[in-house]
Amino acid sequence: MSQEEDSLTKNVRLRLGFADQLREVTVTTPKDEPRPWDADSALTVVGQPTPRVEGSLKASGAAVYTHDVRLPGMLYAAILRSPHACATLEHLDVAAALAQPGVVAAVPLAKVGDRLRFAGHDVAALAARSRDEARAALSAIAVRYRPEPFVVDTLEAMQPGAPQVHAAAVSERRTEGDEPGEASGGAARGNVRLGPSQSKGDHKKGLRQAKVTHSATYTTQVHTHSALETHSLVVRWEDPRRMTVWCSTQGIFSVRDEMAEIFGLKPADVRVITEHLGGGFGAKFGASAPGSRLGYAAGELARRAGAPVSLCLDRREEQLCTGNRPDSIQQVTLGAGADGALTAIHVVAHGSGGIATGAGVGRSAFGVYSRCPNIKVESHDVFTNAGPSTAFRAPGHPQGAFAIELAIDELAQKMGRDPLALRLAHVEHAVRRYQLELGRERFQWAARRAEAEARRARGARIRHGVGVACSIWGDYGRAKAAVVTVSVGRDGAIFVRNGAQDLGTGIRTVLGQVVAEVLGRPLAEVTVLIGDSELGPSVGSGGSQTTSSVAPAARNAAEMVRAQLAELAARLLDRPISELSWGTDGSARAGRRSLPFRELCQKIEGEAVVASATRPKTYGAHPMRYPGGDNYQIAGVQFAAVELDTWTGELRAAEILAIHECGRTHNPLTARSQVQGGVLLGVSYALMEARVIDRRFGQVLNPNLESYKIAGARDLPAIDVVFCEVHTGANSTGAVGIGEPATIPTAASIACAALHAIGRPVRSLPITPDRVLAALAGQDGA
Amino acid sequence: MSQSSAILLSLTLNGEPVQVAAPAHWTLLEVLRYKLDLIGSKQGCDKGDCGACTVQIDGLPALACLTLAALADGRSVTTVEALGCGPVVHPLLDAFDRHDAAQCGFCTPGILMAAESLLRRSARPVTRHEAASALAGNLCRCTGYTKILDAVVDASERLRAEHDDGR
Ligand code: FES
Ligand code: FES
Repeated sequence: MSQEEDSLTKNVRLRLGFADQLREVTVTTPKDEPRPWDADSALTVVGQPTPRVEGSLKASGAAVYTHDVRLPGMLYAAILRSPHACATLEHLDVAAALAQPGVVAAVPLAKVGDRLRFAGHDVAALAARSRDEARAALSAIAVRYRPEPFVVDTLEAMQPGAPQVHAAAVSERRTEGDEPGEASGGAARGNVRLGPSQSKGDHKKGLRQAKVTHSATYTTQVHTHSALETHSLVVRWEDPRRMTVWCSTQGIFSVRDEMAEIFGLKPADVRVITEHLGGGFGAKFGASAPGSRLGYAAGELARRAGAPVSLCLDRREEQLCTGNRPDSIQQVTLGAGADGALTAIHVVAHGSGGIATGAGVGRSAFGVYSRCPNIKVESHDVFTNAGPSTAFRAPGHPQGAFAIELAIDELAQKMGRDPLALRLAHVEHAVRRYQLELGRERFQWAARRAEAEARRARGARIRHGVGVACSIWGDYGRAKAAVVTVSVGRDGAIFVRNGAQDLGTGIRTVLGQVVAEVLGRPLAEVTVLIGDSELGPSVGSGGSQTTSSVAPAARNAAEMVRAQLAELAARLLDRPISELSWGTDGSARAGRRSLPFRELCQKIEGEAVVASATRPKTYGAHPMRYPGGDNYQIAGVQFAAVELDTWTGELRAAEILAIHECGRTHNPLTARSQVQGGVLLGVSYALMEARVIDRRFGQVLNPNLESYKIAGARDLPAIDVVFCEVHTGANSTGAVGIGEPATIPTAASIACAALHAIGRPVRSLPITPDRVLAALAGQDGA
Repeated sequence: MSQSSAILLSLTLNGEPVQVAAPAHWTLLEVLRYKLDLIGSKQGCDKGDCGACTVQIDGLPALACLTLAALADGRSVTTVEALGCGPVVHPLLDAFDRHDAAQCGFCTPGILMAAESLLRRSARPVTRHEAASALAGNLCRCTGYTKILDAVVDASERLRAEHDDGR
């Protein structure tokens, strides 16, 4: 370490680790960082299950979402979309639409000669006084298409001679929802392009050494985000150089930058407000998905009309154009020695994100069973004439976990080994090992496996199955990205300000808890203001990075405010600052004298004591890195119990045990909600959801919430959530993310349990009754 | 749409008499959201699939997006806004808050209206199964329903206890 660096850093001794595996560790932090919270920190607000501060607002219907913004003179926009899977635009004239009742402005979104690459591609937009006037006027737009050959099926698109989806190289649009480092960019051959790959050792050699091998193909379906609030934005020009945008987004600042770029404005002159948003799950970064120009449409219509414009997609548009989780076709080959040790893992994956990239399969195969010496994972993007993929809660991971975990179980079956024991033999990560062992006891693995096998042996109609799968994710908490401002006023009012949006994870509450903890005040006295770009730079809510980017910054700012208050108190009490201590009620104490918080605040010179702070990069004391980077690796495991009706083929998830970690759990109440939601999303993905697209016509057959099946309250398994708290020493509060890991292993664990119940694998998601019946009838893979 | 196709509706809305003119083809949800600016009832799909628009008509849950506004004429319509404005916090809202039953909150108004109707019509505390059946038409993409059911069952027990105390 250079001397200069040395003078800017300090070493602190912390107690880090988890459960009974705690140890003293020296961590190097920047000099001005507070001592990071560790296992010895006795906290009273952070770590308590705390109802979200905006809970009553949401429950009373008073929370305002972008859909709900109503401004004087506001117009409503509608978009004309191409009905063809692929077509060249031959003629477009929006003028006639302007003569329709109520219509105020119209803009083309495509040019004559453009190739419109999927059914649903933007063509033109207009704004009218009411929603139905806008929609009715769309038919007055003069438009002519020349249909082109297209391909929507992933396998067909891979064939030589398939219609070419993109004529030129595809530029990748990265969002904060994508995993850092996942960019691909290999050259395309036909519609196929090499995507992110990972490799270590020599998988070919590993396979040659193997005594037992297993090789099979696993497929997963296209999965749509289906957030309940559709993509929406409202644009109001304040003057020709400044605009305000209300947007249903998980990235306020990415929308700001995008709008500034589109309209040639300074980012500071674009204000973006997201008070509440009705779900995003990764699809709501920037104003729109690839192949879509929602930001331009709303902004340009508002400019031409000289009035605010509200653009809220309808459900059909939402399902077609705003994103999805790509499908996958994964060839998995495993090899093991006579002793059962894995010698090689090889995965060749193809998937289609429609016209977009992003079909990688995550890091499960590469990172979880890291004792295997030879691993190669190759992902490929296959372009098709279908709606674009966008980041979706742990991009790539659920599909990757499904294939590798089910393959591991099949290998275990072949070798006559217990699948949990096989996992334990190959997992290095201490937390994940602990979680697997914890789950084995808590889920009564051995007893339930035996019971299920006995049922199967005696030919019971209702069979049981038990499975387990792992998740891997990285902590993407970002340095210097979020600036949190904390102020304490003369009246004792405490404010926390930051431009983050609340995706529904409860970040408002966590910010309040952290500041209440530092200042020793009740949470009710802290007002948290977020959801507005004017409140200070922040991060997008993707990659499970919000809490770990924002909470440490809030602590750091609150500590600075407390230091200023301490100086003031020392002066008032006429004691050196070193003698000063803080009561748990926020009062300052020195010797026998004490000064209550309110009295102290009254003595503040000026209006308030204010401090802004950010967080430095992760200190780097983490025991196990995420493969391919220097990020903390987040471990999780889920156990599933399924019930199978052998007469109908219906498979039900009966119970899920989800064991996860999010570093220090700041708010167990909302963190638990995150996990429960992630699990049910996984159940729904495993058993029900599938976008269906007609091969001959290139049309999505279920762009709705009716025939695109989503799990409802009746489909809910019993979900047992266990947090394994890890003292990470990664940042000043010890937060790491949880949103994405919670949904990664669910479908995989259900598929493994299905194998256990049926005796044969169902190698395609979703696991529907027809596939189950086929497997029961003896078809491998179904 | 031309003015000539407008109709005049008279209904009781959250206990107050309301007269409103709207195009004859508008749904109740459109009248609520785009005429009266009552934005609590959400528009998740506009075709009866998600339940986000659930209101009560004469005390029974109804999908406002599938109800022609004209059909609400002369009837009593209750929206989520009515639940939140009583002098004491409604036990259902309180339970949703304590149990953390709302994440993004977009499905919450519809779920509350379906649940409130169930609880009001039930002579005894409801079971989880009954709550799940009553909410089968309400999708939630965030919570995984566990806490929604916890909250509904909890509120129903408290309402019963209050009712029994009152006797
Ligand atoms: S908006 Fe009425 S059911 Fe979805
Ligand atoms: S809380 Fe988001 S949809 Fe239910």
